[in-house]
Amino acid sequence: MNILTLLIFIPVLFGIIIMLLPSSLRNSFKYITLLATLIQLGISIWMYLNFKTGANFGGINHEDQFQFVQKLPWISLNLGSFGKMQIDYFVGIDGISITLLVMTSLVMVIATLATWEIKSNLKGFFLLFLLLDMAVVGVFCALDFFLFYMFYELMLLPLYFLIGMWGGARREYAAIKFFLYTLFGSVFMLLVMVGLYLSVTDPATGNHTFNIVQMMNPANYSGNSVFSIAAHQTILGMPARTVGFVVLFIAFAIKVPVVPLHTWLPDAHVEAPTPVSIILAGILLKIGGYGIIRICIGIFPDVATNHAFWIGLLGVISILYGAFNALAQKDLKRMIAYSSVSHMGFVLLGIASQTAEGVSGAVMQMVSHGFLSTMLFFLVGVLYNRVHDRGINHFRGLGNLMPKYTAFVMIAFFASLGLPGFSAFVAEAFTLAGTFKSHNVNGLLPYWMAICGTLGILLGAAYFLWTLQRMFFGQESLKGGDVWKTALVDLNLREKLTLAPLAIIALVLGIMPSLVFDKVNDSVLALIQFLQAK
Amino acid sequence: MNNLLPYQDSILITCTIAAVALPLLAALVNFCLPVKSKVAGWVSALAILGSCVLAAKVFAGIWNNHDIHTQQVWFTIGSTKVFAGILLNNLSVLLLLLVSVIALPVHIYSTAYMKHDDRYSRYFTYLSFFCFSMLALVVVDSLVLFYAFWELVGFSSYLLIGFWFTRDKAVQANKKAFIINRIGDIGLLSAIIILFTQYHTFDIVTLFAEKGLISQSVVNNDLWIAPTGTLPVIWQYIACAGIFMAVAAKSAQFPLHTWLPDAMEGPTSVSALIHAATMVAAGVFLLGRVYPMFTQTELTALACIGCFTAFMAATIALTQNDLKRILAYSTISQLGFMILAMGVGAYSSSLFHLATHAFFKCLLFLVAGIVIHQMQHIKDDNNLDIDPQDISLMGGLRKRLPLTFITAVIAGLALIGLPLTSGYLSKDGILIQAFEWSDGKSIWFKIIPLTALLTSWLTAFYVVRLIVKVFFGEFRLLNIVPNIKEHITDGGWQYKLPLILLAVCCLFPLFSINPLSYEHAWLFNGLNISRLTKFESIYNLIIPVAVNVVSLGVMFFAFTIYSKPKTALFPQTGLFYQLSYNQWYFDAIYNRIIIKPILLLCRACFRFDRRIIDGFIHLLAHTSGYIAKLAMWTDRNIVDGFLHLMASIVQSIGNFARKFQNGKVQYYLFSMLLIVLALFILKILI
Repeated sequence: MNILTLLIFIPVLFGIIIMLLPSSLRNSFKYITLLATLIQLGISIWMYLNFKTGANFGGINHEDQFQFVQKLPWISLNLGSFGKMQIDYFVGIDGISITLLVMTSLVMVIATLATWEIKSNLKGFFLLFLLLDMAVVGVFCALDFFLFYMFYELMLLPLYFLIGMWGGARREYAAIKFFLYTLFGSVFMLLVMVGLYLSVTDPATGNHTFNIVQMMNPANYSGNSVFSIAAHQTILGMPARTVGFVVLFIAFAIKVPVVPLHTWLPDAHVEAPTPVSIILAGILLKIGGYGIIRICIGIFPDVATNHAFWIGLLGVISILYGAFNALAQKDLKRMIAYSSVSHMGFVLLGIASQTAEGVSGAVMQMVSHGFLSTMLFFLVGVLYNRVHDRGINHFRGLGNLMPKYTAFVMIAFFASLGLPGFSAFVAEAFTLAGTFKSHNVNGLLPYWMAICGTLGILLGAAYFLWTLQRMFFGQESLKGGDVWKTALVDLNLREKLTLAPLAIIALVLGIMPSLVFDKVNDSVLALIQFLQAK
Repeated sequence: MNNLLPYQDSILITCTIAAVALPLLAALVNFCLPVKSKVAGWVSALAILGSCVLAAKVFAGIWNNHDIHTQQVWFTIGSTKVFAGILLNNLSVLLLLLVSVIALPVHIYSTAYMKHDDRYSRYFTYLSFFCFSMLALVVVDSLVLFYAFWELVGFSSYLLIGFWFTRDKAVQANKKAFIINRIGDIGLLSAIIILFTQYHTFDIVTLFAEKGLISQSVVNNDLWIAPTGTLPVIWQYIACAGIFMAVAAKSAQFPLHTWLPDAMEGPTSVSALIHAATMVAAGVFLLGRVYPMFTQTELTALACIGCFTAFMAATIALTQNDLKRILAYSTISQLGFMILAMGVGAYSSSLFHLATHAFFKCLLFLVAGIVIHQMQHIKDDNNLDIDPQDISLMGGLRKRLPLTFITAVIAGLALIGLPLTSGYLSKDGILIQAFEWSDGKSIWFKIIPLTALLTSWLTAFYVVRLIVKVFFGEFRLLNIVPNIKEHITDGGWQYKLPLILLAVCCLFPLFSINPLSYEHAWLFNGLNISRLTKFESIYNLIIPVAVNVVSLGVMFFAFTIYSKPKTALFPQTGLFYQLSYNQWYFDAIYNRIIIKPILLLCRACFRFDRRIIDGFIHLLAHTSGYIAKLAMWTDRNIVDGFLHLMASIVQSIGNFARKFQNGKVQYYLFSMLLIVLALFILKILI
């Protein structure tokens, strides 16, 4: 049994167990789920420790350099004159996936610990939760486009129901908005996928293939196919490869989210229950960034290079626009949602720079934001569970009332605003360094983009500190009066045990960023080399 | 890498690391202690004592001896190796010693000053953390680490300003301090990024050493050419502007100075250590580290800003009534002097002034702390509604607080810069070199040294005003509320010892054997980078005489005014008085032209988000909704309608035809007849 396959499908196994258990045992479901995620975490850490690094394990466009690979023929149809349809079950990871996988498994454990607040229809909830778990892990491992797309679409279904059934007051609006937004992106992705399939042949078998790694090699495109680099085909008068890139980019940009495709995010976050918010911010957004690196840039490197300016510009706009919006918010969760938009802008900017510093910084930022946004949303959940309110102006002086909670909020806020010593600082600083350097190295991004990016760091401090001052400091005053005062008890043991590892990880990654960079470097260098060679 | 170094050097490095790490350890220990634990104070004080001893050892080993630089790889990003290491040279060991020596008395003082606080151990956690960051800041060798600790000192200052977090003013002040410092931080970050792009390294030695990369780069044809790369020259200016922003924010220079007076909301012991002696001097230290970067023009700009800040802050200090605010503006003014000195090329004088200023300003704040503490006691004992920091309520404390008074006078004289004090040595050095610098330049450049001269006279005035109002005359609070209980004293040894220690350090012998010539000060010579033999200029004689004679006059003048019971020297409605009293309206202006527009922009962004982007999405949704409804209508009315039409036509035809088949024989016969008739008629007609 391949360890990666095990990692992907363990949640399903436990899901089946939950499905078979009678509802009278419903209180045990959360422990079963916790066990599943813990096993998953254990496996991913084992993989992290056994992950080989070095120039021969770069991955990216070398199929033989991926690790923990499993490749099985899955669907094989003889289509007569169209040749043979070949879809493989093909999973494997390189440096970019491994760090995100470990992050994902850990966030899943934290999300499970946040499910304690769910009280209704437990069986359904945990089944969907585990299905979602399988899908997101699968996305990070799949190297066959068809498989990737399947996992990618499979995420939508559980999320729609998780938001729509267990969410807040406007949950249906938020769920349908989220669903349509993402579906809009992925439907067109399907078309590009089919186009790519028809353009690419596997040199080993001579058949068309969905193999992502093969799609990266221009030699595998047949002479006159639609996405062939040499053929210069057009779609609706536009170069076909550009159209393909833009379509895929939009699909992933919705996930990231990139302004102006971001408005599903605040609504989905505000309405989603805490565990779902955690998965949304912690993992789903990273799938967008991961998809851009692996699929958009991997398959269409020429277009990505030609249009790097616009990608970078979108990154800068996301950073600043997200930050300005965060400053204007009156709802704590919405503020954090917009701060996610701002922080993910750095990811896009770093990727657009196509420098080693920029891309490594972007991956680091994804990992770091995965942990920090998890922590932030969990913290909001703590408050919301106690008084069912999140209005920033409805609380004052929480520092006296909940000192431990305030301490964790301060850690999360300062880590998010990029205080040195925490992971976000290294990520943002090097993303910006790579962005600035880009003009000298490959001439893609103008110098000013990095300088505008630094403004995002300043605004980050402004919105986090302002919130801190308004909600946690000053004389105590609560909208709900004494009722709230008795309800607002400090963190309990479970909450402390959930938050402490996140805080420690953010700190450890900030002090020893090599934990991420050592694994990522070879792949990033391979990617940069690949982009220059294209 | 360490084992390649000589044995002596590796010992020094170990000592440095220990000196830096001890406060961190203390912070960690205190963090784990219960919040009210009284052990915390001693943990921190012992740690800083240890740092002090170790720093002294390192200082003895490095000063005027040789530099040590050691580093190892911290992490690799892409193919760039980022190093972390320690750089010990005259500048860093001086600061290392200075910070720990100043921090020690402040720690001792704090154990008494914060005695009754509910979060006693938290205070010392933060204080030790600050010491750790500050000590680390002065010894690190890489710009990335420098930035990290640069921001961490800002963070610990944030924690300490807002230590009493239930006070609204305090939490607004710490937010303001952090955000303004962040403006500086992004300047520094941009500068670091630019330097990294240009030179591919973060290493301070490689960049700024005598034959470093910076010194090998030239500006030519609008290009900034270095051995490692080329950028448009504008980026050299931006990098310097970024560094300047960082300096201005940390060292409270115009236009980023407004946070420092507000930062006085923190405990006074914190103000003494962080906002007077050490952290605010970090900006000057940064300038010292990256000095070779600046071109002549940029240095002149620096001098102008320093000079303006010094003057502006001094004028504000003239009229303030809040004891700590006066000292805060005085700090800004003195920092302005240091920046001015850097600008006119008086590199070593600037750092010399940094060192002397640290002692006397720290002492003044500790004095202020005692006075405020005593006033607070009176306020609490008698349930008064007064501001314990208002100097217009004080007076005559000379007899009640004798030791405090004496040390305050010593520190005050050092601040004015009278002979025999340390301030004289450092400040006159700056003034003399400023005049020498302006020689041979156009007449306009004379404005800078002249303004500096004027500022030092203003300093004399506000210092005397402060001391007279607090310590001389009669206790004015008694005039307002006559029947109060008061039993105020200098306090225990934890108060007295630091005062005496620091007061001794304010006198000349610590710095120079010759009390009248700054050029004989060991500190000055140790830092002198130009190593040029100074020619004996006429200024060496004129300036000290002019400064001090006029200063004495000003002091006498101020003394006579303020020791009288009724003091209304200047009309309090005049334009200049208002300008000074309202601190040149900087806060109001910033509020109006920066903060409000930004908040408006934020709201506009959010409205754009809601109305335009979401509006567009909703429009799409509604449009598709309407299209769907239209489709449904078509479906129901056109498509189904056609079907229904067909059905009803068939039905009506059927109904019609049914009428013919009603089962009556007569009717059938009748129909047959009719049809036959009809056929017959048709036949005839056709």
